[in-house]
Amino acid sequence: MVLLGGHFLLSSFMAGVLPMHALDGARLSLSSLDGTRIPPYRFPYRMAGLTERQAAAHLLSRFTYGATPGQVDAVVKMGLETWWAQQLAADLPDDSLAQCLSRYDALQLTNQQVADLYPKAGQVARMAIKDGVIDKDSLKTDRVAYREAIRNYMQEKGLKPEQDLFRQFFCQKVLRAAYGRNQLQEVMTDFWFNHFNVSITKNDCAEFIPAYERDVIRPNALGHFGDLLLKTAKSPAMLYYLDNFSSSAPLAEGEDSGQFRKTRGLNENYAREVMELHTMGVDGGYTQQDVTQAARVLTGWTVYPMNDAGKGIINRFSEDQLARRGFVHEGDFLFNANRHDKGEKIVLGHTFPAGGGYDEGVTLLEMLAHHLSTARFIARKLAVRFVSDDPSPALIDKMAKTFLEKDGDIRQVLITMVSAPEFWNSAAVREKTKSPFELAIGAVRSLHGVIEQPYPLYNWVSRMGEKKYYYQAPTGFPDKGSYWINTGSLLNRMNFGLALATGRVPGVRIDLVALNNGHEPEDAQAALLAYSRIILPERNLDATIKRLTPMLNDPGLSQKVDVASSRAGDAGNTRPGQNGAEGMPADNDMAMVATNDQKAAQLGQVVGIIIGSPEFQRR
Amino acid sequence: MVTRRGFLKGGGLALLGVGLMGGIPAFMAEAAASDKLFRPYKRKRVLVCIFQRGAMDGLMAVTPFADTYLQAARPGLSLSAAKNGNGNPLIDLDGRWGLHPGMKAFEDLFREGRLGIVHGIGSPNNTRSHFDAQDYMESGTPFNKGTASGWLNRAVGLLGHDAITPFTAVSLTSALPRSFYGDHPSVAISNLQDFAIELKSNPAGANIAARSFEDLYDQTSSGLLQETGKESFEAMKLLQAANVRNYRPANGAIYPNSPLGSSLRQIAQLIKMDVGLEVAFTESNGWDTHFNQGTDNGIFARNVADLSNSIAAFWKDLDASQDDVTLMTMTEFGRTVHQNGTGGTDHGRASCNFILGNDVGGGKVYGNVATLATENLEDGRDLPVTTDFRSVFSAVADGHLQIANDRVLFPDWVGAKAPVMRGVGGGHDFFITASK
Repeated sequence: MVLLGGHFLLSSFMAGVLPMHALDGARLSLSSLDGTRIPPYRFPYRMAGLTERQAAAHLLSRFTYGATPGQVDAVVKMGLETWWAQQLAADLPDDSLAQCLSRYDALQLTNQQVADLYPKAGQVARMAIKDGVIDKDSLKTDRVAYREAIRNYMQEKGLKPEQDLFRQFFCQKVLRAAYGRNQLQEVMTDFWFNHFNVSITKNDCAEFIPAYERDVIRPNALGHFGDLLLKTAKSPAMLYYLDNFSSSAPLAEGEDSGQFRKTRGLNENYAREVMELHTMGVDGGYTQQDVTQAARVLTGWTVYPMNDAGKGIINRFSEDQLARRGFVHEGDFLFNANRHDKGEKIVLGHTFPAGGGYDEGVTLLEMLAHHLSTARFIARKLAVRFVSDDPSPALIDKMAKTFLEKDGDIRQVLITMVSAPEFWNSAAVREKTKSPFELAIGAVRSLHGVIEQPYPLYNWVSRMGEKKYYYQAPTGFPDKGSYWINTGSLLNRMNFGLALATGRVPGVRIDLVALNNGHEPEDAQAALLAYSRIILPERNLDATIKRLTPMLNDPGLSQKVDVASSRAGDAGNTRPGQNGAEGMPADNDMAMVATNDQKAAQLGQVVGIIIGSPEFQRR
Repeated sequence: MVTRRGFLKGGGLALLGVGLMGGIPAFMAEAAASDKLFRPYKRKRVLVCIFQRGAMDGLMAVTPFADTYLQAARPGLSLSAAKNGNGNPLIDLDGRWGLHPGMKAFEDLFREGRLGIVHGIGSPNNTRSHFDAQDYMESGTPFNKGTASGWLNRAVGLLGHDAITPFTAVSLTSALPRSFYGDHPSVAISNLQDFAIELKSNPAGANIAARSFEDLYDQTSSGLLQETGKESFEAMKLLQAANVRNYRPANGAIYPNSPLGSSLRQIAQLIKMDVGLEVAFTESNGWDTHFNQGTDNGIFARNVADLSNSIAAFWKDLDASQDDVTLMTMTEFGRTVHQNGTGGTDHGRASCNFILGNDVGGGKVYGNVATLATENLEDGRDLPVTTDFRSVFSAVADGHLQIANDRVLFPDWVGAKAPVMRGVGGGHDFFITASK
């Protein structure tokens, strides 16, 4: 994207961001010379006893994937509110990210192109058999030849394995989170994806997930909730994931089912989850009757066929003719009027008279998007993500009120949240636990890491318990510390810290000395001091440093440990940290004569310990 | 959050002041060296579940070999129990059912009355989507996708005591399976050997790092991080002491060199270490045999051989712990009665499952399977589901773990338990009529 002029920024700001219900009575003012926005709200962090720098660090810890070195200063300089307004606008030019992403050729493909290029495994074999390329009998016993034949066939046809598509998709996720300048948009993309979860584990929807995130979630992540709801409802990923693509009016007695013989019938999955998980919440006040009726309203909402085999009726009529029959075709979405239940329905007390069509579903989703239960459900979920695992009812009320008054405008709800004292309260600061993805990306950002290959990072995140895009249930990953932190995952977090800082995460380059302005710390204590300030800005780590220094400052210790452990009988009763007092002199002078390699290893170790430390797991 | 303080107290490690210089407390190192493992916990009963992902062809695993309809529907996929034909014959279990020859490791277990088989088992929801059927089976609610928890996680909650160790519920998988989703502590471990602080090619550095981490987590003001940190290090020491790397299975048991074999070997290790394991899970892949399924040789034969050899080795290895363990397999659905056009079978309805243990009513094929005439099939093509999977799972949970609260374990389910466990269920009222 090209840098935009002040006027454009102004207009996009006016259109998208500005709350005309100016908070605190502050008046809108803009510096027209440089296009800097001065927002009409002030964050009440001083009331909570935070300094401006601490407040900036808190803000960054919640709305980015982690502060980069020096970013706290930059935000203070710019003004916290200004930084926030910029993030809400989400229109910072992002050329270097675009550059990073340009090497991935699948990221811009449409769903149709994806379906054409990346057939599923079974599909390829069927095509190959149909084309006579594979003789199934001769291949019964020779799997190697079978695979070879499939590979050749795919190459000939210009087809690619689905896993390549996913791999590119995972890589872009890592890169956007690590390097995107519009961090809030990326964080919110993650939030909404998880809210409207779909999963690669479900084969039918898997290949449509990249476009789902790209076209449905990200562009609307800071928009209006109602848009997100409608667009997710109509996207192939969701239609397949929760089965609405197959939901249709049951056949009337004696009716010819034609091409839909196999699949006719009502499927309630989406109708249930749209109420339970996407809008009102399980206790939102709907009944099983409402679910069934809503499912009837949504019959015929399906995916526009992507290959000729599925087109049937579509090919027999022109678009105009179809439109006259009540069909709606928008991109990948198809409202198939023939499959719609045309009877009367009543959902949540609202009557949909008999004979309605596509519009019924739109009305239903609008109703849900503006329901009081939805406002409260979404407000709470946002507060859990950004404030604390157990947000106060008062805060949820404020946010829900804004949600209802402002037509589900997500930016406005976020402004209300950040303008509330609860956001800055000491009960909230550092009380969220980073998810594995937040931890990994945050660590790379804090070290100015250069990601040459994002995939190993993705794998580390999976290993730590967050296999992105593979969460099977429509609930999405639970957003609470106790889900992320368990014995297995915690050791992996520590190991990740050590691996990253010692340069053992393949594809990620770290230059620790450069990070410290070219200074190589004299000893472990100096390293601890310098790097904890860089990596954990605005945290009081005196106690940590004091405790760790004797342990780390003693390169002879490792040797002693080895000796001691081989004589396990003596070592077993020794408390950690006591060794120095037990006749083993502190070998600070030995540290001085350590070789460069040892020094580098020790520096990596110190930084790894900081990243694996409990303090760095919090945000 | 469920507190796991008990682990620290019950484990005794903290009380003994095991601070750790070299990672292994002396008495544990000695115990490990002398093959006498440290046993801080009272022995527990353990349920081990294996999910066969992809839908196992139950009709090929355990074949009604005299059924002429089946032979006609599967001219290329039929095996015979006769010993004069080509290839290996089926193992005749009872004159009606024949075990696939690849599963000869199961024969003795069956004849000894330890291995039970349920045929015609499946879900009342007739979806033929792998994803949906697995999801429903693992959540235990076949008509509700929004159920946040998995049935095994709920089982952990019904054990009648707090999870006192980090190893109460362990899945030997890379990610937490749907069955384990939920609020009760459960953990996915892909390899027990990874349960350590690692610093490649610098073990001394790793020791320093481990000590530093242990100290930092001990001091943190976050209760969650502090408790879990303590547990993690205790667990790590426990595993190090048990010397998991050099584990030797008992009784000369030889596990197949496969993911399933490796998982079951590690589950056996955990069981024998007495670290408080009560619910274990792992999976077996490759059952979606649309193409070239094979007969006594081929993909399916390899799969069942791996399954049965892994399980038989596990059982042998358990040795004195056998009484504590029940193992159960499950798969999301079965496959079409007819073979398809590519030498395989497509998605069907009912399949079969295996239950192994000393309190299993073994040596019997349970279920209500009619002849495979078209009129007896679901939708005219599939083995109908005549036993709801929940009637079997709940019977196993009840019979082995004494979990009888079916309303929590399987909400929405009202049915009778299948009589697969000694002293649980009875009669034949657990059969359900095939849904049309």
